[in-house]
Amino acid sequence: MAIQLVVFTLNEEEYGLDVSAVNGILRSKKFKIQSMPGVAKTIAGMINLRGQVNYIFNLRAKFGLPDEELAEESKLIMLNVNQSNSGCIVDEVTDIVKLNDEDIQPQPAFVSRSSDNYIQGIGKLQDRLIIILDPEKLLAVEELPLMATAG
Amino acid sequence: MAEYNGAKNKQDKKIVTHGMDISNLKLVDIIDIDFLQQFQDDFAKGVGLASVTVDISGTPVTKPSSYTRFCEHYTHSTECGDKRCAESHRKGGEEAARTGKPVVYECHAGLIDFAAPIMIEGRLIGTILGGQVLTDLPDEAKYRRIAGEIGVDPDGYVEAVKEVSKLSKERIESAANVLFIVANNMSKMAYQQRKLQAVSNILNDSLHQISATMEQLAASAMTVSSNQANLNTEIGNVNTVTGKINEVMDFIKDIADETRLLGLNAAIEAARAGEAGLGFGVVAQEIRNLSADSKQTVGKIKELTDSIKSSVDKTVGMGNETMMTVEQQAAAIQEITASVEEITGLTEQLSELANAL
Repeated sequence: MAIQLVVFTLNEEEYGLDVSAVNGILRSKKFKIQSMPGVAKTIAGMINLRGQVNYIFNLRAKFGLPDEELAEESKLIMLNVNQSNSGCIVDEVTDIVKLNDEDIQPQPAFVSRSSDNYIQGIGKLQDRLIIILDPEKLLAVEELPLMATAG
Repeated sequence: MAEYNGAKNKQDKKIVTHGMDISNLKLVDIIDIDFLQQFQDDFAKGVGLASVTVDISGTPVTKPSSYTRFCEHYTHSTECGDKRCAESHRKGGEEAARTGKPVVYECHAGLIDFAAPIMIEGRLIGTILGGQVLTDLPDEAKYRRIAGEIGVDPDGYVEAVKEVSKLSKERIESAANVLFIVANNMSKMAYQQRKLQAVSNILNDSLHQISATMEQLAASAMTVSSNQANLNTEIGNVNTVTGKINEVMDFIKDIADETRLLGLNAAIEAARAGEAGLGFGVVAQEIRNLSADSKQTVGKIKELTDSIKSSVDKTVGMGNETMMTVEQQAAAIQEITASVEEITGLTEQLSELANAL
């Protein structure tokens, strides 16, 4: 079975998210991400999207990457996970690609054993490698209760 | 450039004083005749011989000093005598001019005369004639014969010749020499003074021309400077326009970004619609391609505006260098003008000295 991925870059690495989990892409500079006190660093804040509160995750913090200011090109990928609309900041959305099953390698065993194994697999696109992320696990469990109450 | 040519031609001109060609000066132009007259009168009286100064054509420029009765009342009284005198003077003068020294000779009427040339730069401008003396006692028969020739009363003529002073040849030569030296020194000094005047006048004229040229140079330096300033302003305007183009380009790039996002979101929607979204997916792809093209074009235009800006900056830099050079030139011109003024002052003093001589 083929899968379609929204491909984005973060810290010059390529990641992919299943298109069916993606609600849409926003330009971060069009929104004010309002920070919230007392929440984990992995949550950048919240935005008002068409009258709805949407929580924005900071993937850099989650992936342990060096923190950086929002760039001109930065995008928000809005995801539909756990019955809640939330999104994450990425450097740039580069492509939407279709990958066949033979081009996808399942997650390595050392990842599967760790607690927050949000890597679903590795996609091969010519000589590029795309880390396919699991949208459900990406927005980790420990953060969800807060979102549920806020939602 | 006409001024420069004019200044050059000036050097080719002859030395001219108050419109008078110095190479063609006459005796009366350079010698103070009153002074010469006084000197000649006193000298003639003191030494006891007659004297007169004539110009190059033989015309007297002084009144005769101490002419003898023999000459004045008898020899010159007839047309024939007068002519013979003139001829005699001419010959003496010619001889003096040829040798460049005073000549002592016997005149047609049997008196001893001398002719001393007045020369400037080897050119004869006049002659001092004199004498009307004798070295020995007169031979009566000789003067009776001459009186017959020129048609005067022989008795009176002989009587008059007896009144003529007797001087030794040596004394006559010395007297001629004194007149020769004094007259030539007078004319030489006068000539040098004229030359000095002429040179200082030329110097003065040239300095005025230099001053005028310097003023023109200063004015043109000002013009160049102000033109360059205007040019810099205009070029600055080009930079402003380039900046505005870049603003428009930013706006177009923003639209391209927005369009691309639209394409991405459309592609996501198409993917989620499954089979039904396939056609829409193609359109979405086309929109993304279009936005990518727009963005590339914006990039190219920005490269062009950047290159315009760098050219403009270079031009402004060169313009500023030109301005600096022109300012240095203006300063140099001022220095020259100051020097010329100083020299003009000296030249005026020189003129005053030349005129006071």
